[in-house]
Amino acid sequence: MLLRASSQAAGAGARLGAIAEGGAAESGVPCGGPLLRFAEALVRGGDEELAGARRELLAAVGPERFVEAAAVAANFERMVRIADATGIPLDPPIAALGADVGAELDLARFGSAANTPRPGRVARALAPLLRRLGPRLLKWAAGARGAQPGAASRD
Amino acid sequence: MPPAISSAEAPVPVRGDLALAQRRALERLAAPGTWWSGAERVAIAAEARQARRCGPCRERRQALSPAWGGADHESLGRLPPAAVEAIHRVAADPGRLSRAWFEKTRAAGLAEGPYVELVGVVATLVSLDAFCRGLGVAPHPLPEPLPGEPSRYRPGQARDEGAFVPMIPARGAQGAEADLWPPGRTANVLRALSLVPDEVRGLKELSAAHYLPMEQVIDVRAHRLLSRAQMELVAARVSALNECHY
Repeated sequence: MLLRASSQAAGAGARLGAIAEGGAAESGVPCGGPLLRFAEALVRGGDEELAGARRELLAAVGPERFVEAAAVAANFERMVRIADATGIPLDPPIAALGADVGAELDLARFGSAANTPRPGRVARALAPLLRRLGPRLLKWAAGARGAQPGAASRD
Repeated sequence: MPPAISSAEAPVPVRGDLALAQRRALERLAAPGTWWSGAERVAIAAEARQARRCGPCRERRQALSPAWGGADHESLGRLPPAAVEAIHRVAADPGRLSRAWFEKTRAAGLAEGPYVELVGVVATLVSLDAFCRGLGVAPHPLPEPLPGEPSRYRPGQARDEGAFVPMIPARGAQGAEADLWPPGRTANVLRALSLVPDEVRGLKELSAAHYLPMEQVIDVRAHRLLSRAQMELVAARVSALNECHY
């Protein structure tokens, strides 16, 4: 859902199917192919495949962004383990806003989908409206929380 | 002080805040925790690293059912069997953990508090190792454990919120836990480890450097040098490959 919302906020349209299809797919995100192939090699690939993906990504985005990609991948290797090992359900607003994303990517096939109750009738009925308002709602929520737009602070 | 990746070791420059956050994560790993001693926490980290080399874990990942009844884990032998099972499964096959598996693990003698802390340590180690592997450098050497006793602190507000383990309610981060998140403004993945508040603190600090500070996550305009869409593409693909619904 954050991929779709951030892509829309930037005036572009990411193709969500690339998340399920992987590195050979067109994602609509700049340098998406090298980013996807690096993520795949890091999670599932052998040393040789990873070395190739690393070289490709470095050439595509340069050293600083390459380090950021490795850090983001490492972060989500952590978050998935925390989420799945503790059995947390999806937060209700995320479940409502991302229901169509879940359906498009067939996320219900994952075992951990059992941790989230199926959305009720009201939530399903409101889903199309919430999807249209999604980016605006996130923007509002970010403003209400005092988040600052732009680059995160870095050394 | 535990070592950290430096620009001299890595093939590319590593941001100072990132190297510092990783060094602090290693320091936390070595210190006595809430339910485990420093020596036990480092042993958990070592066992999590061992899970990558565990033959039965590899075979289980290929098996149709995670309940595959193959050989015992190839363990380092420093921790009780229930802890070893939890470490290997969380490290090597997280997408197929179920409530039934969790209840079985608890019945085998791993209580909720120690389990939550164990998950925090394993997830941290996996993350640090993934970063190093991504860069093509050797993983951090594990730190020397620090002496001291676990605090055995359990937050009074933690309760059943529908997950496998008790959590602090969204509006319950008060008193000693007031620093965890602003009242009502959190997400389940941040609350997941809140039965052991120090693990939430560690999660926030390392995630702020690896990804984004928690308060910026919901702001889809927040980014680093990579655009937010590029960051989320990597995040989503890693989650999908791990079969994570969350």
